Amino acid sequence: MNRKIVSAIKYVILMLIVVIMIAPVYIVFMMGTYKSEKLFLGVPWVPSDYLMINIRTALNGGFLRSFANSLIVSVCSVLLCVFCSATIGFALAKYDFKLKKLISGVIVVLLVIPTEIGIVGYVREMRTLGLISTYWPLILIWGANPFCAYFMQSFIGDSFPTEIMESARIDGCSEPGIFLKMALPMIRPGITTVAILIFLWSWNSYMLPLIIVNKVNLYTIPLFVSTLSSAFSQDYGAIMCALSMSILPMLAVFTLFSKSFMSSIAAGALKG
Amino acid sequence: MNSEKKRHRIRGKEIWQYLFCLPFLICFLAFTVYPTLYSLNVSLNQWNGFTNMEFVGVKNYVQILTKDPLFWKSVVNTFILMALSTPTTVFFGLLLAYVLYNLTRGKRFFQTTTFYPYVITPVAIGFIFSYMFDWQTGLINKLLTAAKILDSPFYWLQNPIAIKLIISIMIIWRYLGYYIMMFLASMTSISPEIYEAARVDGATSSQTFWKITVPVLRNSIFFLAITSVIGGLKMFEEPMLIFSGWGSAFAGAAGGPNNAALTVMWKFYNDAYRLDTRVGYAAAESYVLFAIIMIITVIMFRVTREKD
Repeated sequence: MNRKIVSAIKYVILMLIVVIMIAPVYIVFMMGTYKSEKLFLGVPWVPSDYLMINIRTALNGGFLRSFANSLIVSVCSVLLCVFCSATIGFALAKYDFKLKKLISGVIVVLLVIPTEIGIVGYVREMRTLGLISTYWPLILIWGANPFCAYFMQSFIGDSFPTEIMESARIDGCSEPGIFLKMALPMIRPGITTVAILIFLWSWNSYMLPLIIVNKVNLYTIPLFVSTLSSAFSQDYGAIMCALSMSILPMLAVFTLFSKSFMSSIAAGALKG
Repeated sequence: MNSEKKRHRIRGKEIWQYLFCLPFLICFLAFTVYPTLYSLNVSLNQWNGFTNMEFVGVKNYVQILTKDPLFWKSVVNTFILMALSTPTTVFFGLLLAYVLYNLTRGKRFFQTTTFYPYVITPVAIGFIFSYMFDWQTGLINKLLTAAKILDSPFYWLQNPIAIKLIISIMIIWRYLGYYIMMFLASMTSISPEIYEAARVDGATSSQTFWKITVPVLRNSIFFLAITSVIGGLKMFEEPMLIFSGWGSAFAGAAGGPNNAALTVMWKFYNDAYRLDTRVGYAAAESYVLFAIIMIITVIMFRVTREKD
């Protein structure tokens, strides 16, 4: 009896937390379906009938272009980061060589050093290379991500047995062949996790685009959202609708991949 | 013969581990090391980002440390915001992860939904919160006046204390799910037999939490605490965006009311790119912040090592 009450209280508190986590987002989604004049009459708990017109306003306001920009930047960042971190993770987890200790040590130190201190130099470097009006500055920054390298190193160390490498070598398989044909399929959950995290981080990244991107047609989603209030001046319904449309893809992606994301986070990171 | 063999070894096997390291190392040198050193050089110059640099030595640093009260205000603001949000998030993240770990039903549902805020673009979060706490149209004032708790709407975003609390709530709201996820991940590495033994010995749930979970996860807790302190010291978009989204009344407020929400990174951005073009000075500010972060990291390492 006592146990049941405790358990019930636990679930009630957890549900309360879920409500707090979701309510603000829910309200924004609901507000996106209202006409601006009706928006502030009460609290918008239920949807209204203005959704399509708000969507059209948002689309005409440059949503699709920003969405495409964000998609290009995030997908390229993921490809670059997965490539760099999987290769170095493989080398550090499965080979012995002179610089191994030094490189692993540098990666661990990098985990606590904020990359933001280099931002002034990075902006200048991109300007010198003539890359300011391109997607490159927002992509290249993800090439050397210490968290992903560290994560891949420990994930590969745990999930790809060294014996397989030995027998593959005896069969005459080359080193890149081992990496591509044997290691990559086995570390797929780890790659998924890195991919989701980098997609998330680059999609949501704000400071770098804010400083570097100076052309409206290169705006990413966060820049688009931050200019909403000036773009749609008083049309709060359209603003909320555009906001919902910016949030929705990430929520969908995460919900789809949440299961494999959680299990591989558990398998890879943070032991003990 | 011997050298032939050696060369073959290098070509065949020894070289691949270095080739595998190469992509990361090239990116690291080109886009982390070089910009960081370049920034250090910039911080010793007077520079607007375009014309020639003028070497001034440590003048920028001297000015920051002795003649810039706004910088110190931003440091204090950052520490207050971090102190209000980081320990709360880490503690509740750990506690809720422990509760979820022992949950038989609905574990993944709670895990996924609490993670949602972390997935949302921070810009949008700033927007949502500035709407919720808007004095005229905001949800919070509407609910509080409807419930007769407040007689008239309260100016949340204009009050220096309220604004810090709101930003902290925003940060806790955003990061809680992330910490739950990370703690849950490391809890799965604790072998279930330990818990079984504790249950056999008649330990209560809170005893198990403090006597087993917390000590076993010491390293994870420490790692997450350090990274979140560093993240907190770099705080930038959360405080800034609460003033740039909703209601154009705040559009010009750089730093919030009386600069009560100005963080170090925000000041850095204002000095270098937004309100001014003192890039050299701003670079020096980022290095002072870096020094502060390093000192705190070393202190945290020392404190935890002494306990062991």
